Amino acid sequence: MILVINVGNMEMIVAVFEGEEVVASWRMTTSAMKTSDEIGSTIMRFLDFDDIDPANIEDVVISSVVPNVMYSLTNAVKKYFGMQPIIIDSSVISGIDLSRMKNPLELGNNRLVNISAAYHIYGGPVMVVDYSTCTTYDLIDENGLFVTGITAPGINVCTESLFLKAAQLPRIEIKKPDSIYCQDIVSCIQGGIYYGHRGEARYIIDSIKNELGFDKIKVVATGGLARVIDSEGEIFDVIDPFLSFKGLRLLYEKNKSLGEVRL
Amino acid sequence: MLLVIDVGNTNMVFGIYKNKQLINTWRMATGDGKTSDEIGITINSFLSGSGIGLHSVEGCIIGSVVPTIMYSLTHAIRKYLGIEPLVANCNMDLGITIVRANPATCGVDRFVDIIAAKELYGTPAIVIDYGTANTFDVVDEENRFITGFITAGMKTCSEHLYTRSAQLPKVELVRPESMLTVDTVSSLQAGIVAGRIGETIEIINVLKKELNIPHAKVVATGGLAKMIDSKGEIFDVCNPFLNLEGLRILYERNA
Repeated sequence: MILVINVGNMEMIVAVFEGEEVVASWRMTTSAMKTSDEIGSTIMRFLDFDDIDPANIEDVVISSVVPNVMYSLTNAVKKYFGMQPIIIDSSVISGIDLSRMKNPLELGNNRLVNISAAYHIYGGPVMVVDYSTCTTYDLIDENGLFVTGITAPGINVCTESLFLKAAQLPRIEIKKPDSIYCQDIVSCIQGGIYYGHRGEARYIIDSIKNELGFDKIKVVATGGLARVIDSEGEIFDVIDPFLSFKGLRLLYEKNKSLGEVRL
Repeated sequence: MLLVIDVGNTNMVFGIYKNKQLINTWRMATGDGKTSDEIGITINSFLSGSGIGLHSVEGCIIGSVVPTIMYSLTHAIRKYLGIEPLVANCNMDLGITIVRANPATCGVDRFVDIIAAKELYGTPAIVIDYGTANTFDVVDEENRFITGFITAGMKTCSEHLYTRSAQLPKVELVRPESMLTVDTVSSLQAGIVAGRIGETIEIINVLKKELNIPHAKVVATGGLAKMIDSKGEIFDVCNPFLNLEGLRILYERNA
């Protein structure tokens, strides 16, 4: 079994693979304040809750976009699992060609993991749309070349910013409003966020297709809100909620077989 | 002369009208906790800087979405201009109907924009205001405000993204020439600007189709409207002073 940890700006997602199957997964809040003991003992409790013996974990694989939690997190793995975790970043062999980028190290590790998974599972050209703290639109061509990546403010970031910056606007639940007639403040924001982010996705996908003269690009979406935004299945070809886990396992296997990653 | 004041979450915009003619405008940060003297003395210097005597201002109307500034602002007008300001609210004679269970929950900026669009360009209309929040509001041909959407303003959501992510920089809001980005800054610029363009196009299309108003006038205002429609393909009219015009019209109906 391997334990994979995907550290996002808001949440860390922890999952256990047995072969190619995810057998359990949990989420915890990302916080730079958490100590290695808090993180380590929480992961131990997660495993215990699902009757997984920590002794069966052969490797721990981490990808992170939050540098300042890494000290506590790697220490937690060392202390509670007795091993050095394997860190997935843009220095690993991913099969993705990042040569178009000015500085490949700027590509968030979460994006590298997602595009590797999408390219290997679905083939190129493929676009990955990830609904997270940011909404990202990354395109890989048929040869595995990273062609472009677009970063927009995530849905939760948008709704939260409205609440924080506008004196009279409340927090809302993100969903399609019941009617096109939005006559109270909550449904007005729901309508704006729902239709606005659908429009964002359509426009960005179409603009990139037009600029490249690509007719067919497979669009794979992931992240919690992908299903809310494409509620009628018109925008994305595939919604794959486990893309990042699949990518972490894939990059781990690939690099392990090459003997590259043990730090 | 008439002083109109549009109080937004980020800025207060002041406009001075001579008859129906807007002769000058100024902006002041709305700020937190400004005193009536600070506001009053600043208005004073705006006016005198343009050669306008304080006593020639005969009327004042304020439209505000920031309740906490109103005490200081109304005091400033009384003390420095010696007049009682009219404060825009939904119980005035608006010339439009706000279709809501509770019209008081409708932001003043929204119905003021609609009043101006109706008067200047006719109905039905879709009125879009790009500010701290972006609003997309519909007034039908019977002059009823029937629906509207709110989204996060371009600056609002991009600044918040900076605070909520560990590795993203602050960027200047410009539309990159290409969607093929090569670094984090161009990637963010493309996402923020193209995302909001897509938002605008989708919302206009949905409203026109679902409400069956294919010929509704699309009227835009607000600082970033020009960036959204740099080629003039999306809006029928772009009027940067729509809100001030609405306040002037509201004053004329109610003073």
